Amino acid sequence: MAVLMTDNDRPEGIVLTEAQLKSRRQRSIAIALALGVLVVLFFAVTIVKGPAVLVRPL
Amino acid sequence: MSVVDHNAIEFAPRISEADVSDYIALLKPRVMSLVIFTALVGLVIAPGHVHPVLAITSLLCIAVGAGASGALNMALEGDIDALMVRTANRPIPRGRVTAPEAMAFGITLSFFSVMTLGILVNWIAGSLLAFTIFFYVVIYTMWLKRWTAQNIVIGGAAGSLPPVVAWAAATGSLSVEPLSLFLIIFFWTPPHFWALALFRSDDYARAGVPMLPVTAGPDATRLQILLYTIVLVAVALAPWPLGYFDAAYGVVSLVLGAGMLTLAINVYRLREGREAARATRQLFAFSILYLFALFATLLIEVVVRAVAASIW
Repeated sequence: MAVLMTDNDRPEGIVLTEAQLKSRRQRSIAIALALGVLVVLFFAVTIVKGPAVLVRPL
Repeated sequence: MSVVDHNAIEFAPRISEADVSDYIALLKPRVMSLVIFTALVGLVIAPGHVHPVLAITSLLCIAVGAGASGALNMALEGDIDALMVRTANRPIPRGRVTAPEAMAFGITLSFFSVMTLGILVNWIAGSLLAFTIFFYVVIYTMWLKRWTAQNIVIGGAAGSLPPVVAWAAATGSLSVEPLSLFLIIFFWTPPHFWALALFRSDDYARAGVPMLPVTAGPDATRLQILLYTIVLVAVALAPWPLGYFDAAYGVVSLVLGAGMLTLAINVYRLREGREAARATRQLFAFSILYLFALFATLLIEVVVRAVAASIW
């Protein structure tokens, strides 16, 4: 038997609370900032080292 | 009837409410600040010129590596942290962060700190940082801490390595000067942590951590504190007559060493009541000042020398 599901039957799934949304947003901003710092760091060191950045002694 | 099982919602993953401050707490910021400071000294006393950008990169990587170790340590010790008053407020016992979340956080930061230091600075420093994290997490946290009363003696090596990592970052090599900094922190760790363990021994006993006051008793611990303090004062003084550090360091080391020794003798002598408790707390507090002042003197010496050289 085929079962049709109306909009009212559809489960809501996981609905985040206000606190969960807020903390997730905070964490996302922190990750973005950390990645930004990493990019700036790699850029700055590349500029500072110049062509020497290609010399990679172990 | 619905084709979707509503009960499945009950098995949905836990949604974290941890905010940034919980993740910062996982990094053990106070330990991190001491690591940054000792690493800064290792970087500054190293011979030759280090470009400020490379110096900042090195310090950042060492700090993040230290924080990663702290997060991995907390991920592995959630069970005993919950049993101790000193650590019950950490993010994992409070239920703010789960152990797997802390583990993932720690592994990610470890990877990025080691790789960044290796790629941008040099691989001797990167490898040493990786070894430091490995030693703290695997050797100390997973193995020694719950197994032997010598846990903090051997495990102290991990906390002693940051100035060596910084030296390696600055010079691309290793030598005796950073080894002297390593030895100072290494011999400072037992009197510092055993003083703490003496007035927190109930905590450690409840958690089943074999700290020396729990396994050997307070009197044996007091003797060990005194013996390690004697070695510490000698090790901290040695670089001066050996010519590695200047006279100002020698005088500060002598004066503060006398203070450290006096307080350790007090801890050994006073064994009962409030006076004994006060003596251990005094030694614990003074030991922090002692290490900070020794390293600050080295830092000031270098700055004064640089300023004098630029004037004359």
